[in-house]
Amino acid sequence: MKIIVCIKQVPDTTEVKINPETGTLIRTGVPSILNPYDHFALESALNLKKKHPGFTVDVISMGPPQAKAVVQFALALGADEGILLSDAAFAGSDTWATSYALSMAIKKIGKADMIFCGMQAIDGDTAQVGPGIAQQLGLPQVTFCEHIEVEGKTIIAERHIDGGSETVELRAPALFTMIMPKDHPYAYPSFTQIYSASKKKFSIWNAQDIGAESHYLGLKGSPTQVSKIYPPKKETETQFFNVSAAEAAEKIVEIMKKEGFIK
Amino acid sequence: MPSLDAISRNLMLDSLKAYAKKKITYDYIREKDAANECPLEVLKEMYDTDKLGVHLLMIPAEYGGVSGGTYDIYRICEQLARIDLGIATSVFATFLGTDPLNVGGTEEQKEKWLKKIAKEKLMVAYAATEPDAGSDLVNLKTRAEHVIKNGKLAGYSITGAKQWISNGGIADLYTVLAMAPGGPSWFLVEKNYEGFSPNHHEDKHGIRLSNTSGLSLDNVFVPVENLIGAQEGKGLLQAQAVFGYTRLMVAAFGLGAGWEALENAIRYSQQRIQAGGPLSDKQGYTHKFLVSHAANLEAARSYIEYVANRLDSGEHGLQTEGAIAKYWATESGNKAAEDAIQALGGYGYTRDFPVEKIKRDIKITCIYEGTSEVMEMTIYRGRWQEHLKTRGEFYSAMAKEMESLHALNPNVGADACALSLKALGTVLEECRINKLTRHQYVTFKLGSLIAASEIAWSFCKTAAADKYSETVKFDKKTYETMARVNAKNTALRTAMEGSALVLSAVDDPAGFAEKINLKEIEKKQKGLLADMDFIASSLKSSFKAR
Repeated sequence: MKIIVCIKQVPDTTEVKINPETGTLIRTGVPSILNPYDHFALESALNLKKKHPGFTVDVISMGPPQAKAVVQFALALGADEGILLSDAAFAGSDTWATSYALSMAIKKIGKADMIFCGMQAIDGDTAQVGPGIAQQLGLPQVTFCEHIEVEGKTIIAERHIDGGSETVELRAPALFTMIMPKDHPYAYPSFTQIYSASKKKFSIWNAQDIGAESHYLGLKGSPTQVSKIYPPKKETETQFFNVSAAEAAEKIVEIMKKEGFIK
Repeated sequence: MPSLDAISRNLMLDSLKAYAKKKITYDYIREKDAANECPLEVLKEMYDTDKLGVHLLMIPAEYGGVSGGTYDIYRICEQLARIDLGIATSVFATFLGTDPLNVGGTEEQKEKWLKKIAKEKLMVAYAATEPDAGSDLVNLKTRAEHVIKNGKLAGYSITGAKQWISNGGIADLYTVLAMAPGGPSWFLVEKNYEGFSPNHHEDKHGIRLSNTSGLSLDNVFVPVENLIGAQEGKGLLQAQAVFGYTRLMVAAFGLGAGWEALENAIRYSQQRIQAGGPLSDKQGYTHKFLVSHAANLEAARSYIEYVANRLDSGEHGLQTEGAIAKYWATESGNKAAEDAIQALGGYGYTRDFPVEKIKRDIKITCIYEGTSEVMEMTIYRGRWQEHLKTRGEFYSAMAKEMESLHALNPNVGADACALSLKALGTVLEECRINKLTRHQYVTFKLGSLIAASEIAWSFCKTAAADKYSETVKFDKKTYETMARVNAKNTALRTAMEGSALVLSAVDDPAGFAEKINLKEIEKKQKGLLADMDFIASSLKSSFKAR
């Protein structure tokens, strides 16, 4: 089977701060990383490749030229081929335009059996691109996957649902979005793997290469626009009372009366 | 030497950091440090090609390595030093031990041994030093006698003692320098050779995670094919050929460990509230413990990168440059670490905080691969020849370059640097006229002043460039200010310390002050405090408290 993994380079959000005056992200000195959800999606695809001889894993990303770093990282971890969609025409694309561009690239690669995406990216947190690609390509999709197995022609996807998990069986082609398990020990490549990755096939495609229509790309092709980014205001405050249960009950009643919740 | 692409290099650094974060925690290091124990299990994993394979960096790809260039190896060495200088030293010992092969090995020897080191994850040790021969290798006492079998040279019988050998007790393979009938030569000795035995692991002041042992060689038979380069008498040349490069790596250690200590102090200064505010807001603290060290270390980085790029572009030797880089970076790092303890006060003096250990560790960088004093001598010798050969033009030309640079970019202190270089040339010339270089003290001091001015020259050029290298973490204004502060400090130091040397022999102090343009140098000090204030505030925003 041919698996395509969609990956994104994101700022390490544990290091990002927002300038409260301008509302913009302070990116200076902030390292860029592979979106952890995508990292897990990639590892899931590579595990299938290890188990099933003949499976191939290609990665595709969209971003500025420096996003090549995450593609090369994915190649070092074991992906076979890497593609970066990079063109000024893509700049400012929202989730719809991004899904459109990625789906056009996937069409160009052709014959994909499974498409893996991270559930969402840690910078935008929209969780829309994966389902968007499935929609653009007319593929069935299984979201919030924790684990995927392939048995013969059957794909078995275990997906996270509130309070448990659900197992879905389906046939290729399909798209899967992967969640990020807590405390997952992410793999990192050895020096030899990194060196070999620099010799693997890597291509940069522009809008023309994927046959995308320019009015569906970038800011002008995006139905949604970001008007402002700002850190949320802290509007609630927690008070702690280290008292006995009886005193606590009295305290609660007193506060509820004061706030007008009860009379 | 070819270099890796920037992405591959940074991915390797990321993998090293990821491994260290998981396996080499401060608690782990602290425990091994207290027990004076080399973390063999960690080293084995670091050499495991499926996990990391850090030793592959200096082995060419055709022999199973990843063909790292000088710049790549400097970056990894800096990062290793930030993790633990003992572990860094152990990895470096393999790099160093492999060097005689890389430089002087025959094709067959490279094919056999480099491939073996890469594939079998061999730890290597470089065995040159002896109880009576450190930097003075001419006094080598270890002997390699011919062993003749059936009328043919079958090999060598090596007898002698080696001292302070990093990886001495744990290596699989040793490159041993011994005196053969044809002169000093390198030999490959495997750990299981009969008559070869390592001594006890030394109880050291610092880098206690690095195994250091003496070696005893008692009639050790080494087959003739293990003579590196298949020719006797090339040993010292092969050793010297890589000094520019190996000393650059120790410079990277000084840089990495020095910055690690300094970053600790910068972050701490924002948490520690004294007299109504954080220490980071107090000039008496920031300007003493942080600002100059940051400028000195970034100056060191600029010079290290300058030399690394020259070596990667195919230049050989660069012994004087390697010595300048090592001298400046390790002395600056050592001072930064010393002050980091003071900056953390009582906490800094305890082993709960890493600066205490960094301070103990980093001292070795001023000692091994040639002490700071050997560096001063090497730098003086190299540049004194240039001064004589060019009749003083060497530093005039560099000064002119700085004047032109100042016209293009007045923010990096190139004007002060030009004055420093001119004053340096004048001091050298005055030393020549008054025959002051008969005094060893003068020559060492000149070595130190030469290093300072050339470092300032490099930093001014780097800071004035349109684009900075991937390692520069500061914005343009901060970086330019650091270069300016460094240049101002250097100019005044050259004038003051240069004068102190010359005035011991001349009768006209005022005349000499005029010759070195002391008044202009003094004028350039204007604005120094404001510059230091600015750097202090930039350091605070660059390294926030965690």
